[in-house]
Amino acid sequence: MASQLIREWAGIQQFPAATQTKLLELLGKLKQENVNTLTILVMGKGGVGKSSTVNSIVGEKAVAVSAFQSEGPRPVMVSRTRAGFNLHIIDTPGLIEGGYVNFQTLEIIKRFLLDKSIDALLYVDRLDTYRVDNLDKQIVRAITDSFGKEIWKRALVVLTHAQLSPPDGLEYDVFFARRSEALLKVVRSGAKIKKQDTWGSNIPFALVENSGRCNKNENEEKIIPGGIAWIPNLVKTITDVTLNGSKAIRVDKKLIEGPNPNRKWKEFIPLILAFQYFFIIKPIQRAIKQDIASEARPAWETRDTGSQLRKY
Amino acid sequence: MPTFAASCHLLNATLTPALSSHHRRLPSSASRNPSSAPSVICSTPSKNSTSDSPQTLTPPIFTYFKKSLPAAAAAASFSLLLHFSPVELCGGSINPPGSGGGGGGGGGGGFGGGGFWRHIFSALPAVADEPQNTEWDSHGLPANIVVQLNKLSGFKKYKLSEILFFDRRRWTTVGTEDSFFEMVSLRPGGIYTKSQLQKELETLATCGMFEKVDMEGKTNPDGTMNLTVSFTESTWQSADRFRCINVGLMPQSKPIEMDPDMTDKEKLEYYRSQEKDYRRRIDRARPCLLPVPVHREILQMLRDQGKVSARLLQKIRDRVQKWYHDEGYACAQVVNFGNLNTKEVVCEVVEGDITQLLIQFQDKLGNVVEGNTQFPIIRRELPKQLRQGHVFNIEAGKQALRNINSLALFSNIEVNPRPDEKSEGGIIVEIKLKELEQKQAEVSTEWSIVPGRGGRPTLASLQPGGTVSFEHRNIKGLNRSILGSVTTSNFLNPQDDLSFKLEYVHPYLDGVYNPTNRTLRASCFNSRKLSPVFTGGPGIDEVPPIWIDRAGMKANITENFTRQSKFTYGVVMEEVTTRDESSHISPNGQRVLPSGGISADGPPTTLSGTGIDRMAFIQANITRDNTKYVNGAIVGQRNVFQLDQGLGIGSRFPFFNRHQLTCTGFFQLKQVEEGAGKPPPPVLVLHGHYGGCVGDLPSYDAFTLGGPYSVRGYNMGELGTARNILELAAELRIPVKNTHVYVFAEHGNDLGSSKLVKGNPTEVYRRLGHGSSYGFGVKFGLVRAEYAVDHNSSVGSVFLRFGERF
Repeated sequence: MASQLIREWAGIQQFPAATQTKLLELLGKLKQENVNTLTILVMGKGGVGKSSTVNSIVGEKAVAVSAFQSEGPRPVMVSRTRAGFNLHIIDTPGLIEGGYVNFQTLEIIKRFLLDKSIDALLYVDRLDTYRVDNLDKQIVRAITDSFGKEIWKRALVVLTHAQLSPPDGLEYDVFFARRSEALLKVVRSGAKIKKQDTWGSNIPFALVENSGRCNKNENEEKIIPGGIAWIPNLVKTITDVTLNGSKAIRVDKKLIEGPNPNRKWKEFIPLILAFQYFFIIKPIQRAIKQDIASEARPAWETRDTGSQLRKY
Repeated sequence: MPTFAASCHLLNATLTPALSSHHRRLPSSASRNPSSAPSVICSTPSKNSTSDSPQTLTPPIFTYFKKSLPAAAAAASFSLLLHFSPVELCGGSINPPGSGGGGGGGGGGGFGGGGFWRHIFSALPAVADEPQNTEWDSHGLPANIVVQLNKLSGFKKYKLSEILFFDRRRWTTVGTEDSFFEMVSLRPGGIYTKSQLQKELETLATCGMFEKVDMEGKTNPDGTMNLTVSFTESTWQSADRFRCINVGLMPQSKPIEMDPDMTDKEKLEYYRSQEKDYRRRIDRARPCLLPVPVHREILQMLRDQGKVSARLLQKIRDRVQKWYHDEGYACAQVVNFGNLNTKEVVCEVVEGDITQLLIQFQDKLGNVVEGNTQFPIIRRELPKQLRQGHVFNIEAGKQALRNINSLALFSNIEVNPRPDEKSEGGIIVEIKLKELEQKQAEVSTEWSIVPGRGGRPTLASLQPGGTVSFEHRNIKGLNRSILGSVTTSNFLNPQDDLSFKLEYVHPYLDGVYNPTNRTLRASCFNSRKLSPVFTGGPGIDEVPPIWIDRAGMKANITENFTRQSKFTYGVVMEEVTTRDESSHISPNGQRVLPSGGISADGPPTTLSGTGIDRMAFIQANITRDNTKYVNGAIVGQRNVFQLDQGLGIGSRFPFFNRHQLTCTGFFQLKQVEEGAGKPPPPVLVLHGHYGGCVGDLPSYDAFTLGGPYSVRGYNMGELGTARNILELAAELRIPVKNTHVYVFAEHGNDLGSSKLVKGNPTEVYRRLGHGSSYGFGVKFGLVRAEYAVDHNSSVGSVFLRFGERF
């Protein structure tokens, strides 16, 4: 796919000038670090705004967004290039189907990602959901099982629908803090990140508002409550994650299929067999012999020893 | 009835010359000996006394036969017949002509046999009824006068309205519960002639139990008579020692006629020689099986009593015989008491020594034929206690019956002890067997109507199906067999579903005489099963089923350690084909998409990935089972270890070690008395099952969780498919009336190994990988009705299942 002709990132020009400046600055920073290509994987539940977020970043309607139905279980890669810098954003279908993690979808995603390396994972969820449940944990676990724990070092949690008025008169910041804390907890338990791994609690968050009614600041940049222009902020967070020193996740066959369980311990089979013979079969045989010896015999069997001992 | 018959026996036994000679040895008893002297003549034929012993056995044995019937019914088609040939019942035919006539058979008017024969028969209703059928005569005398027996008319039939026993020594009338009562065959309401009454009196007088017996009648106004039997019991010197000897197989000592003209010196000489003979006899006799506690009990009886009386001897005889019969020595009889009037009572017992073991084959009509089965095969099934030189025991007979029945070679089995004519007191054990047909072929057909288009059956949808099977049993008489069967539901198109089996069984691999019991089995087989791997979890409606077809051959050797414990090892070569509903080979599982479509991209079904696997592996299974039934409740332990060891032969060179260990303990929670009809104890069942696999694991060999034999309350495979599993269960069984109720809790866990099965079918079909359940149930015969709560969804449901969970 790399050989495919990558389209010019035209969408960037649609951004307000201020945003454009910031983005180019960030790209420059990446280039400085010898990063010419950025592959971003977007995952999350269905209907949380993954595709919209992708479109917002690219600045054009690159992926079809349908409000009520996923467009089919196929990942889509949006690739754009700008001044020698390649940006790949992989949009994936929602991982939830009928209340369960759809492993088939996950399988398809994994196969799609074969021989690519992921620089950043955007785990997308909504800000305006008040609860986390087991399903969230399952998704996190499924992602972890597929790509390994390491992927969370390259992850950022994206919260969409950021423009909201928190319920019960909570402060926006307080609400955000609570929501992010809850999600972080889920991620940490779902990905089985140990408490002492400090990076686990440092997974960055980014707020997104894809709605067209999104508030804008004086520079015509889309902002979220708090006044931050979210697109540059998001890209900045991605850049930070990319440059945080961890390795990019290389998706290869081994990662997809996992270690072949059929091979595990295979060379120990002769030893296992010997163990079974000496420590299971033999003791059972001894126990049987003991059973025979200690078997309660009816009196007539033991009493009458036959006339060999008795004289005729 | 048994005691009745036995009592005559003592009576008979005490008549033996050896004993009566002892009596006479003592001058003090000389006075009463003349009365017993004629008895020697009366029943001298020793043949009589011996042939009598088996007869008196008849009652306990017949009752045994009846008792054994339910057991026989349970085991379908065999019966244990323990009886003595009725030919010998007619004493006359056995008696030597001369002595038989003199023996007392002659005088008997209505009765064929002699005095003591009547004793035996008198209890039988058929015989007792006979006189009642005829009219009786009035005594024709004034009422309330006492008439001596010899004053009665010899032509009249008297009706006895009452019979009284009068003990002269105690000077009281004894009731019917007295042990002497049963020695008299006369019954109130019976009709007897004078000669019958005289005969009876003579019998009583000669039995040795009484010093003196008299009969007198008392007339009643209604023409009937009251009979009073007055007697004086025999007594001997008190004894403080007791000895029990087995006189079986010993020749009866010959009576030497005592010349009445002997001088006192000669008499003394004679008695001395008699005593010597008897001592020698005692020394030669073998010790009895009678255990010390019973011995002591009898000694206590002797000590308590002081003088040895006839009643006491009767009691001792009953006690000794009771012990023998309770222990299953059905042929044992107390035949004599010797050494009376010394310090020691010697109880002579014929225990029933087996002199010969006969194995006979019979054809359908019961004729003796030469059988096909080789004798060693039967002989190795017989308990040692049934061989020559042992004492016959009914339990050993039953054991033999069970063992032979388990060979499944015979349609009818009889274990039959009969008296040995050649050796006195000996028993010949006859085993009569009817062999089953050696070759058997069977065809059964059935038509099935398959709904055609539109649901209506058409002519073309009629399918002829059926089974063809053949069996060749007991090849070479060594219990080897070949059996084969082919089943199809459509003979016109048999390739659709054809199941076949061909098996060769070769027992006694180490030789018939070798106690090691190893059996070789070789078979070709095929089977078709629905895979529980491709089953949906809760909330998933329908997973397209996958059928696992196996075809192959295997050979294994089974070594039986006990009836239940065994070790099997062998080689299996098989081809496994996985098919979908429409019989197409499917290399992957299928799943239903939310849109309703079906995609065949599920977990791989085979190791090779083609839908067809071929492999060879070693299979071993060792079972240790020491469970037994305590009043119908199973108690004990069962451990099973099963191992499949791949050899690297087959598609993708499968090399694996698949193992399962099952431990089940049935713990009795309360000690209970064992016996028929007693309530079973409460039992706690603990069960653990570990299964694991290292190496190549195709999904059809993976362990599944959930189901009636895994975790109750779930469907087969509903909890998951894993590489390693652990199942734990506990069940408490509490007896209620004839059955039991139980509560249980079970748990199954994949130990996180679901993902180690290729394709992770547990997750693909949305199963949890673990689950618990609990519930309760009742057992009705073979059916269990239980209510189980599935802990994952907390939903309870009622199940009806056959057989046992553990």
